Amino acid sequence: MIEVQGLTKRYGANTAIDDVSFVVQKGEVVGFLGPNGAGKSTTMRVIAGSLGASSGTAKVDGVDVAEDPRTVQAMLGYSPEVPPLYTNMTVRSYVSYAASLKRVPDVAAATNLALSRVGLTDVSHRLIDHLSKGYRQRVGLAQALVHDPKVLVLDEPTSGLDPAQRVEIRELIRTLAAGDRTIILSTHVLGEIEAICNRVIFIGKGRILAQDDIGNLSGTARVVRLELARPEGAQVALAAVDGVLALEQAGSIYTLRTSRDVRAEVAAAAVPFGLLALDGKEHLEEVYLRLMGAEAKA
Amino acid sequence: MKPILVIAKRELGGYLTGPIGWICLVVFTLIAALFYNVVLVQIANQSMQLGMEEGLTEGVVQGFFGNLTVIGLLLIPAVTMGLIAQDRRERSIELLLTSPVSSLQITLGKYFGALAFVLVMISTTLYLPAMMYWMGEPDGGVMLASYGSFTLLMAVFVAIGLFASSVTDNQLVALAMSFSLSLTLWIIGWFGAALGESSLGTILGHISMLSHFDTMSGGVVHINDVVYFSSTILFFLFATTQRVEALRWR
Repeated sequence: MIEVQGLTKRYGANTAIDDVSFVVQKGEVVGFLGPNGAGKSTTMRVIAGSLGASSGTAKVDGVDVAEDPRTVQAMLGYSPEVPPLYTNMTVRSYVSYAASLKRVPDVAAATNLALSRVGLTDVSHRLIDHLSKGYRQRVGLAQALVHDPKVLVLDEPTSGLDPAQRVEIRELIRTLAAGDRTIILSTHVLGEIEAICNRVIFIGKGRILAQDDIGNLSGTARVVRLELARPEGAQVALAAVDGVLALEQAGSIYTLRTSRDVRAEVAAAAVPFGLLALDGKEHLEEVYLRLMGAEAKA
Repeated sequence: MKPILVIAKRELGGYLTGPIGWICLVVFTLIAALFYNVVLVQIANQSMQLGMEEGLTEGVVQGFFGNLTVIGLLLIPAVTMGLIAQDRRERSIELLLTSPVSSLQITLGKYFGALAFVLVMISTTLYLPAMMYWMGEPDGGVMLASYGSFTLLMAVFVAIGLFASSVTDNQLVALAMSFSLSLTLWIIGWFGAALGESSLGTILGHISMLSHFDTMSGGVVHINDVVYFSSTILFFLFATTQRVEALRWR
């Protein structure tokens, strides 16, 4: 559905993104992960057609954004990090303006649907200027999905929201993902990606560092956490297991860094010490830090 | 065609719901009424002293619009300063840039929206000629030519203001720039006159809006004056479109 090939964007001597390539299949929900300034927003803006690339191509449903931006924009919804709002308009008039711009056949119906989807029906008569940040974020989302696009590009849809609002927006994105809508979203909250996305793309300093299915990333157990009932003396036994590189102890919790998947061996070695729990998944956070750490050293 | 209308409608609505539009509208209407009275009294005194009635319409209407252009010169930059600059500052421009709308459509939509508002401003003076018809028999041709040339001149100022608003994301910079540009184009003929018969002097005289406006509002509509104003508008609309297109590259 989305094909990005060798995308590069330079600003004078600075390179915002450098030879970025990836493919997103129809119906996938892909998360962009990376530090600030890594090039997530730049990549998203190129796909949405609000920014021209220096070289490389971005195609949506086979249509090159640079060659035919209007066709792409008609089937794509984009919500930038700062919602593009006219604060002197009411919520309803703004969303219906967006609907008309996006050439929706029945503006009133599309506006009502978008408002109810993002939960803004009750405040639709209010001026955007008077809304809280969470509501404004939703108005930005309503604008992006008012034309029922096949592809949604959401740049930090939950930034600046409180935890309850985050959960709401996350649920909303999940309902939007139902069916075969393709979604790209960026976020700083790793748990969010684990909760919503099928796949994650790590970006650092304008380059793609890694991309994989969430399942695969979590499955490569490089970190094993143990909780033991009798932690005394376990240190030696655990360190003796082949493949364990490092070991930390905090009370009854041991954290092991391993070179490969040695969960079974570790469990066997831990049983005599009263194994209470073993968590062998590599958390996204650790993958993230490992990738970003490697990038910093390079 | 439709996106232009959609954008223009929103801009016009923005003027009618925001403070700047109303301030400009009220100031313009009040000052127009004031000017009209001042000019009417002046011309009436003159014609009584000189005992003539010929050319009364010309005197009143020309004097009125001559003064009103100065107000236009001051107010139009305030009307147009936010057109694109504010969209850039508040990032709402991104809605337009990511909608299936071309840069030309954005430019024309913004232009016609502001122009529609300026037409509303101008229409608030229409009761003044109506009063002249009620009191006497003014020269309809002169009246029409004056309104036409004044409107055309304001349309040029709007195009200049729109361009100024597209080069910056700061409304005050846009205001200062469109005022300076309009004023320069307005009076550049003075420098031309000072240079006398030299070729540069003649060119400056042709570029100046004042000379074109004066012949036109006198009731003599030359095609070259209309072409002059129209091509100035087209030039600034073209330049604005280029600026909007450039926004897609930063």
